[in-house]
Amino acid sequence: MKLVIFEDSTFANFYPLSLIRPVFELRCGATSLAEKLRRRFPGLPTAYFTRDDLAASVRSRAGNESINDLAALDDDLLLLNGRWLCLDTPLQAQGPEEVGLEGGHVVYGRVQKATVRRLAPADFSSFLRQVSETLPRRAVEVTLLSYPWNLVHHNPEAIRADFKALGKAGLHGKVHPLSCVYGEESMVYVASSAVVHPMVVLDSTGGPILIEEGVKVFPHTRIEGPAFIGRDTQIVGGKIREGCSIGPVCRVGGEVEESIIHGYSNKYHDGFLGHAYVGEWVNLGALTTNSDLKNDYSTVEVKLNGQSIDTGGTKVGSFIGDHTKTSIGTLFNTGTVVGMMTNILGGSGILPKVIPSFCLFANNRALKGFGLRSLLQTAETAMGRRKVRMTEDDRAVLAHAYEITRPERDEAIRKSRREILQG
Amino acid sequence: MMPDRKEIRDRIVSVTCRILKVDPSQVMDSSEFARDLGAESLQSVELVAAFEEEFRIEMDEEEALSVSSVGGAVDYIAKVIQAQR
Repeated sequence: MKLVIFEDSTFANFYPLSLIRPVFELRCGATSLAEKLRRRFPGLPTAYFTRDDLAASVRSRAGNESINDLAALDDDLLLLNGRWLCLDTPLQAQGPEEVGLEGGHVVYGRVQKATVRRLAPADFSSFLRQVSETLPRRAVEVTLLSYPWNLVHHNPEAIRADFKALGKAGLHGKVHPLSCVYGEESMVYVASSAVVHPMVVLDSTGGPILIEEGVKVFPHTRIEGPAFIGRDTQIVGGKIREGCSIGPVCRVGGEVEESIIHGYSNKYHDGFLGHAYVGEWVNLGALTTNSDLKNDYSTVEVKLNGQSIDTGGTKVGSFIGDHTKTSIGTLFNTGTVVGMMTNILGGSGILPKVIPSFCLFANNRALKGFGLRSLLQTAETAMGRRKVRMTEDDRAVLAHAYEITRPERDEAIRKSRREILQG
Repeated sequence: MMPDRKEIRDRIVSVTCRILKVDPSQVMDSSEFARDLGAESLQSVELVAAFEEEFRIEMDEEEALSVSSVGGAVDYIAKVIQAQR
């Protein structure tokens, strides 16, 4: 029996966060979507299927698991949609052949080896289509994430579920006696190499708090559960309010509420980040702030891939792509989509709700900036500072993302050029 | 029709004066955008954008930003116009 975690055709709904990673690597709670699926079906070898341009990069992170390898479909299979937020499910790996569908999308498929052989898949998407057309169908009600704000909205319950599933609790690290657990101590986990300084409040009254290995929580920090602080992160003072997941190797201060910071990103200074998802290697300059609530309390619309989508929610912040950097005083509007690897010079009021990838955004205008090579050099420097090497696969993925995002960027740049010339 | 060198130069000077807020009398072929005309890095990027719009051309960012003087810009833009005609 083998697990097959796949990315379906909706991956672009998660841009810019999914430009350089599969949707199943996105974080919700303390772990990624794929990690939750694997945890629910332990002990099974896993094969992954994603976009071809990401395969090499995913392979470098996946260890011995197979990526986009049709030859790996040589067993009884449990196909799992990688955007399924699987916190709990009665689904069993073993059982009769069937396909679980929600809204026409395949959630899971149990496929026997003989059927795989009979279908003789030529590529994974056609295999998935054949499976959904030929096997018995069952309508299921699960959380199939559709947009980035779904990850943020489900984050508090995902942290609670992960805390329960991981089974880690207790103060194992250096927790200074002048710090305080406010609430149940059994709802707090501080890993053995983590350090909690004096004048820190860990408030578990609203949910569990997970503090992983190597984390340092500095004085004058209040962390409200549910919260997840990933490996080697530093919380440098401020309010980490309920529902935050801060991934590995981040440096975070100021005020953060119900947000996900994927990893290796900095928001060192004061400024508010709420209901946001921040990619990797992002640096938010001092006083960078996003709005996550409109003054008239109406639902927030987000413009994704040229289309305005009503999120249905009143609390929606920003979605900030990998490697993007903001200057001091940058202000993001409610429901802003910020492209990846963009250099934003804010300070000229609230910015527009769509900022293209790979550009210099200054004086409210998108400019070509200094070119892709310069952006890659900066990224390599930033990664080197955290002892991470940019591989050739990373470069190829970034260069591909640069091309994918070119039309949106070019349109914005042309508009800006006209404005500049007109003064 | 391909503009001649004088026209290209006149239009470059005009755009430069508008973006950098300098007087045309200050702008010589030998003037360097940064050292002599005070262009900061962001203004250099804006100049590139404005030249692209003025001449309806697309310039490679790195190549364009490596041009330091007004005379160099005239030569470079003439070459780009020729290539993109």
